[in-house]
Amino acid sequence: MKFLPLIWSNLVRNKLRTALTSAAIALAVALVCLLLTMPGGLDRILNEIASNNRLVVLNKAGLVYPLPYSYLQKVRAMDGVVAAASWTWFGGVFREEKGVEFPNFAVEPDPIGVVWEDWGIAPEQLEAFRRYRDAAIVGRGTLDKQGWKIGDRIALKGTVYPVDLEFQIVGEIPDAQAPHLWFQREYLDQALRAAGRGGLETLGTIWVRVDDPDEVAPLLARIDAAFRNSEAETASETEKSYFANFFGALEGFVTVILIVTGLVALCIVFIAANTASMAVRERMGEIAVLKALGFSRRLVFATLFAEATLLSTLGGMLGAFAALGITAFLRQGVAGWSPALGPLGSFVVTNTILVQGLFLAFFVGMLSGVVPSFGAARRPVAETLREVF
Amino acid sequence: MFLPLRYPLANLAARRTRTALTVGVVALVVVATTLFSGLVSSLKETLVSTGHPRNLIVLRKGSTNDGSSSLPLEAFQALRYFEGVAREGGEPLASPELVVQPFFRTASGGRENVLVRGVEPVALRVHDEVELVEGRMFAPSSGEAIVGSGASGRYVGAQVGDVLEFGRGRWRVVGRFDAGGSSFESEVWVDARELANDAKRPVPYSGVRLRVADGADRDALARRIDADSRWALEAKPETEYYAKQAESANVFYLIVIGLAVLAGVGAAFGATNTLYAAVQARRAEIGTLRALGFPRIAILTSFLVEALAVALLGFALGAAIAAVLGRVVSQALGGIGFGAATFTTNVIQLRVGPSDLVLALGLALAIGLVGGFFPASRAARLRPVEALRKA
Repeated sequence: MKFLPLIWSNLVRNKLRTALTSAAIALAVALVCLLLTMPGGLDRILNEIASNNRLVVLNKAGLVYPLPYSYLQKVRAMDGVVAAASWTWFGGVFREEKGVEFPNFAVEPDPIGVVWEDWGIAPEQLEAFRRYRDAAIVGRGTLDKQGWKIGDRIALKGTVYPVDLEFQIVGEIPDAQAPHLWFQREYLDQALRAAGRGGLETLGTIWVRVDDPDEVAPLLARIDAAFRNSEAETASETEKSYFANFFGALEGFVTVILIVTGLVALCIVFIAANTASMAVRERMGEIAVLKALGFSRRLVFATLFAEATLLSTLGGMLGAFAALGITAFLRQGVAGWSPALGPLGSFVVTNTILVQGLFLAFFVGMLSGVVPSFGAARRPVAETLREVF
Repeated sequence: MFLPLRYPLANLAARRTRTALTVGVVALVVVATTLFSGLVSSLKETLVSTGHPRNLIVLRKGSTNDGSSSLPLEAFQALRYFEGVAREGGEPLASPELVVQPFFRTASGGRENVLVRGVEPVALRVHDEVELVEGRMFAPSSGEAIVGSGASGRYVGAQVGDVLEFGRGRWRVVGRFDAGGSSFESEVWVDARELANDAKRPVPYSGVRLRVADGADRDALARRIDADSRWALEAKPETEYYAKQAESANVFYLIVIGLAVLAGVGAAFGATNTLYAAVQARRAEIGTLRALGFPRIAILTSFLVEALAVALLGFALGAAIAAVLGRVVSQALGGIGFGAATFTTNVIQLRVGPSDLVLALGLALAIGLVGGFFPASRAARLRPVEALRKA
């Protein structure tokens, strides 16, 4: 510890170099953190939001194949089902030129509070959602992005169904990322009847809450067995596996992002190593003097090594903070549920990512310091002094 | 009077480790930027290159994509005989199409929504960029399918001769087609009526693609279709339809630019450091050169050339690595899947194209110039007497 002032004054003797190096490391660490938010957004959905106790029933043929509405009642009647609700993709657009900006579904108002109890929607908002035919519950993410608030009225233009619907927002899904807009299934049904299109007889997916973990596997099997050889066979799975499949197509993209992240990380190693080797090279003479004065090799190595590590870690901290700032800024603009980015566009620097960024900088600092410091410590004093003076 | 080019280059060679590290930094930034930009521009190109400028896509009014549209049979019959629709051998070039997006299994065990297009034989003449490269066209009503090259490499059972399972049925793959790198290559085509049966769709078609006759006014035909009060239809140029889908890729461009700028500035800082150290180490030399009569501008350019040489070396190394890496990654993954806004998967081959290389070259040069400028001007400002005295 008593050598800390020595390390520090070595760091600040070439202020420009120190500043440039730590800024370069900071930028790279910030970039690594930003890139990691993309796979991070996906992980969050799979590991934090998706539940193993919520099941999804969908048409075996594909997501765009509907299921008969009667399936919901049949599933509800099964043993082990605590509650079940259906989602029907409405595909409404708010601004026509922007396309579908957030997923919007027709749902049954009664069971949603039970099926998604873990989402923490306020009871009085659920009550209002049940009471008003044109009520909508909107995810915090979409509310923020669109600048809506509870009490606002909005209109969505149907792309899948030839009707436009007007809603009043009565509640929110509190999660800051939640993009969904839910509205009453009956509202769509009536609008379709009014448009002479007949009622809504199909649904997209059925969501089932199960409380007993041991019930999950048998129930999945029972649901699929019940609809085997029927007009629409089902494929049931846990919510977690459903999302893993749903976002499976992003795997290739995530791989490329991880490769790019790795390249940027390697970049930090090179920049830091370069600085460390320059610092050591210029100080050959004084290192030899220190050793002549009685500094041990180990001590010389330790101070140089600590200098490189400290520099890199400082840069890393700076970068991690920059990443927090940049993402806060990004979330105002492009982030949220974007059809192109999906969950990759959340831009949330989680604590895990921060820790990863800091550790990266720390290890890079150590790595970059090892070779030059070791070289300097080992070099015979007499030889160096002869060269320098 | 300028210093010979050999001087800065020899200086680079004199400090190998340092030069190598700086070249390495530039190369890594180039690889990262090129790979990412290659991915995004491949995606964009795939979508933008889809569609024929003389084709119209007719959908139900309000539908944003053919997956969510449906069109009565009578509307199709009427559309065939609109004035301005091209004809070949008396038959109107109007292709009725049904689009569904069933699950396909990927080789790695995942499942993706793939666009299956139910068509009639006329489709090959309306979409004349589609070209069978293996096997033959499917025969109507016989449970056969042809598969785009992108889809063929990615999904289980999608090779010619295989049996493909999707929807409710099983389909024999009898042909494989290319479509000029467009998104049709990520599709599977089958007989429209068979597909409607399989998908239990009451209305047979999602939309119609029309080839506009030579000499006819495409936009006037589109307006006539829009104005027809019998059916609520909307006609759009096919190219515009796909260009709109390509807009969703714009957000990726922002990410690429952000990546390039952040990484580029970082690398420029690194290069600045290296060059400052070089200037510092060569004070005596610079003083001597100035004393010999070389003007400031000669010193400045010499250091800038040194920086640019590092940047160009980094670019060359990085571009070569990126081209190889891109190919390897793309091959290893069987194409890179992109879930589009229409819930279908586009299979992209990651290609590093000229535009990506130009971007990376610009970035590398900027790194060299910015990183070289400040140290070079410090070197140029050194007063010969002082530089020599200190040395």
